[in-house]
Amino acid sequence: MIWRRSRAGIREAVPLAALPFSLLCATVLCTLAAHAPHLPPWFTAVLAAIIAARWWQRRRHHRRASAWLRIALLIAIPGVVLAVYGTPFGRDPGAAIVCGLLVVKLLESEHARDARMAVGFACFILMSALLFDQSLAFTIMVGLLLLPPLATLRALESGLPPGRWLPAFKTGGVLLAASLPAALLGFMLIPRLATPLWGAPDNGVAHTGISDRMAPGDLHTLLTDSAVAMRIGFDGLPPPEDQRYFRGMVLWHFDGSAWTRGPASRRAWPPAPVEARGPVTRYSVTLEPSHRHWLFALDVPVAAPEGTTLLPDRTLQASRPIDHTLHYRVESAARYHLGASTLDPRLRAAALQLPAGYDPRTRELAAGWRERAAGNDLAIIRDALEMYHNGGFVYDLDAPPLGRNSIDDFLFDTKIGFCEHYASSFTFLMRAAGIPARVVVGYQGGYWNPVAHYLLVRQSNAHSWTEVWLAGRGWVRIDPTAAVSKVIMAQAGSDTGLPLGGGDISWWLPWQNRFDIVNRWWGQTVVGFDALRQSRLFRPFGIEHATAQMLGITLAVIVFLALSAGALLASLRPRTRPRDALAAAQSRLQGKLLRCGIVRGAAEGPSDFYTRAARALPPEAETLRALAGEYACLRYAFPEPPPERTRAFARRVRSFHPGRVVK
Amino acid sequence: MDQDLAAAGTTTLESTARQRLDAAIAQVNAVLVGKNQPIRKAFACLLAAGHLLIEDVPGVGKTTLAHALAVTLGLSFRRIQFTSDLLPSDIVGVSVFDRDRNAFRFQPGPIFAQLLLADEINRATPKTQSALLEAMAEGQVTADGASRALPQPFFTVATQNPMDTAGTYPLPDSQLDRFMLRISLDYPDPESERKLLTGEDRATLLGRLHACLSADDILALRSQAHAVTASPALLDYVQALVTASRKHPDIRTGLSPRAGLALLACARAWAYLGARDYVMPEDVQAVFTGVAAHRLIPARSVARDALAQTLLESVAVE
Repeated sequence: MIWRRSRAGIREAVPLAALPFSLLCATVLCTLAAHAPHLPPWFTAVLAAIIAARWWQRRRHHRRASAWLRIALLIAIPGVVLAVYGTPFGRDPGAAIVCGLLVVKLLESEHARDARMAVGFACFILMSALLFDQSLAFTIMVGLLLLPPLATLRALESGLPPGRWLPAFKTGGVLLAASLPAALLGFMLIPRLATPLWGAPDNGVAHTGISDRMAPGDLHTLLTDSAVAMRIGFDGLPPPEDQRYFRGMVLWHFDGSAWTRGPASRRAWPPAPVEARGPVTRYSVTLEPSHRHWLFALDVPVAAPEGTTLLPDRTLQASRPIDHTLHYRVESAARYHLGASTLDPRLRAAALQLPAGYDPRTRELAAGWRERAAGNDLAIIRDALEMYHNGGFVYDLDAPPLGRNSIDDFLFDTKIGFCEHYASSFTFLMRAAGIPARVVVGYQGGYWNPVAHYLLVRQSNAHSWTEVWLAGRGWVRIDPTAAVSKVIMAQAGSDTGLPLGGGDISWWLPWQNRFDIVNRWWGQTVVGFDALRQSRLFRPFGIEHATAQMLGITLAVIVFLALSAGALLASLRPRTRPRDALAAAQSRLQGKLLRCGIVRGAAEGPSDFYTRAARALPPEAETLRALAGEYACLRYAFPEPPPERTRAFARRVRSFHPGRVVK
Repeated sequence: MDQDLAAAGTTTLESTARQRLDAAIAQVNAVLVGKNQPIRKAFACLLAAGHLLIEDVPGVGKTTLAHALAVTLGLSFRRIQFTSDLLPSDIVGVSVFDRDRNAFRFQPGPIFAQLLLADEINRATPKTQSALLEAMAEGQVTADGASRALPQPFFTVATQNPMDTAGTYPLPDSQLDRFMLRISLDYPDPESERKLLTGEDRATLLGRLHACLSADDILALRSQAHAVTASPALLDYVQALVTASRKHPDIRTGLSPRAGLALLACARAWAYLGARDYVMPEDVQAVFTGVAAHRLIPARSVARDALAQTLLESVAVE
């Protein structure tokens, strides 16, 4: 179809003016900024420099970007991404590639049409940044970063005062605000899938969080990480600070350098019986994605939440790694008796396991205590804690590296370390002294939010401690770290939520803790709005479980009602009626040309307009010229358009069908 | 505007004066290569009975255009080279004592001509510039208490250098308002420039020019141009433009009623030059910047031409 081609010709011919180009550069920069947190800094810097250089070049020299540069970039970007990430697939390499391609698109944008495409592409890439971070602050930032693309779209249209960018942003702001109700409606009512159709692979990037292997120094990165681990709301009062121990997993096996769960935890023992010695605490936990199986519960859980397994050592395990925010309810006994009256011999063996040929000095020390205590386990424990308290031990996250006999090195030489050094050495000492012992890893402390009444636990609250078996008392929790740094320990559960001796955490953490109410609301209400929550949307109307169909129909009905209301309002508005029959015929003619993509500018003279239309629709040129001449004559050559000729003109307009002639 | 379209549905104007007008335009076009639009506007200004201001940097052909017009139009021609020491009496004339008749006798100045070329008008002091005011507005001068009519038609072509050139006095707003149309010639395009470089000397060309029109022809043409129809729809458009100029936030002083009249007269003449007996919005648009830009007083530092263009874009056409 000839006219279609010429229609496209009209659009492509519009060159990109200075203002839309500058705004387009801003758009691409903003998109880059949204992805900057997870792109290599030098990659972002190079792309930003290319954008700035292109802006300067076009502004100063009015030249196009060299085709060779674009081709070189097109080859270099995937190559660089392959070199950096090792694969073109996955979330991070994908983001790097599309950001690079967007910059190439900017380099070749010379016409309004290119700019429109680039803006669409940029918006898509901007939204993809939400795959990396869905926090409230980031979502708001991405929303605001949509302003430059919208302003660019506005600047691409006509009618803007020359060189003024502020009105373009105003229009962008209005558009953004007007789209919010529609976005909210879509968010709530577009049916969701119970599990995502596709997931963004993570390239096995290391996840922060507690792992099931503990070697001295392992927890160090965690203790300086202020990321949120979980939030806990209690049904009643929260437990006192010294009882806020959240059990994660139990480590049985020591190989001389690291503690692991070992074979003992994998055997199908019956769960150790728990006898609550006080009131049971009921609470709900919102666990951030940890990508591991472990659930955390206040020491010691008495019942497993639905869908989880309570392991024999009273730890909770989910059937699948926790890849999205998980809510669960647990009950725990703060005062308890854990374990049967006698210890199973196989368990006892596992709880006394020590690697042969390691740490002779520690063994010697423990043997000495054993001899002195003459069977009194409590005396041995007291001796050990006494040593930590008065033996010149220092709690410090900057622990020096340890040699092959790590326990010996720590206890007799360096004497500097943090929870895992203490838990590890204490458990070793107990085992060497013949007392069954194991290491427990989890979180301790947290920030109690007095306004919203929940406990905020961060990764920096990660902790490890020891459980020893005492005849008649079962497994008893002993925190050797507390013996060392009593003062700092107390602080761990206090207002500040500072980690044990953590000097690395920033000064604004207390403010972050207070602001966390908003994040919690965001996480629970918006990010946590899943298929299940959506299905409960109609509960107030007596519908217990809304199906996808019901949601879709509701959405359709609301959209239909909104459109109808809009149409009604538009029809009620006083319309500018055509001033006479000639004007009516002329507006009909313009409507027909509009459908062919030829729009008359508000200030465009009729003759200029029809000449332009005739050029765009060569097959119709003759008819258009005749119509244009007739209109101009009727409108401008007479005081009033003669009725007879006006009617004839109207008839000719009615029988004029642009586009229909050419097939 | 498309010539076919302009001709469609119109009554063709046939007259010998009309044919001579076309010959005159062609002759001036032959001297100033590639300046079709400014020359057309100059003729529109002549037909609309206005005065013309040519503003541009030195050397682009302002004086050549004025000379070519003077010869071609067949009018009595005087030229005043404005300098900073020029006095009003040097323009208007002085009374000298006639010993024979024992009375003062008025010695007319160079202004008593049908076509007056005021070259580099902004080099004279405002006082001298103002001497032109009465002549341009009323077609008469007053000296020694007596008013003396100027010959008809009276057509002033003034040239001036841009304001920022050294040694110039900017024309006062009232003076500017007297000029119906302001045009600039701009540098020639490469093709025209080549013709200029390879062609005959301009002075020789000017010497060969002959008068194509006469004073009577011009008066006849003026009355024909004045008779061009301006429909109510077109008057609406002109009024809308004038009103918009008075409401625009970037304009301190908008267009005066005199400017509105000038705009309509110029648009009529433009339509007449396009061989049409009615005015279209495109005619108004074609002359709008020339008529309006030098009369608009911007509220902030914006180019006057850009302001005029903004006004055009802001007013809808039927």
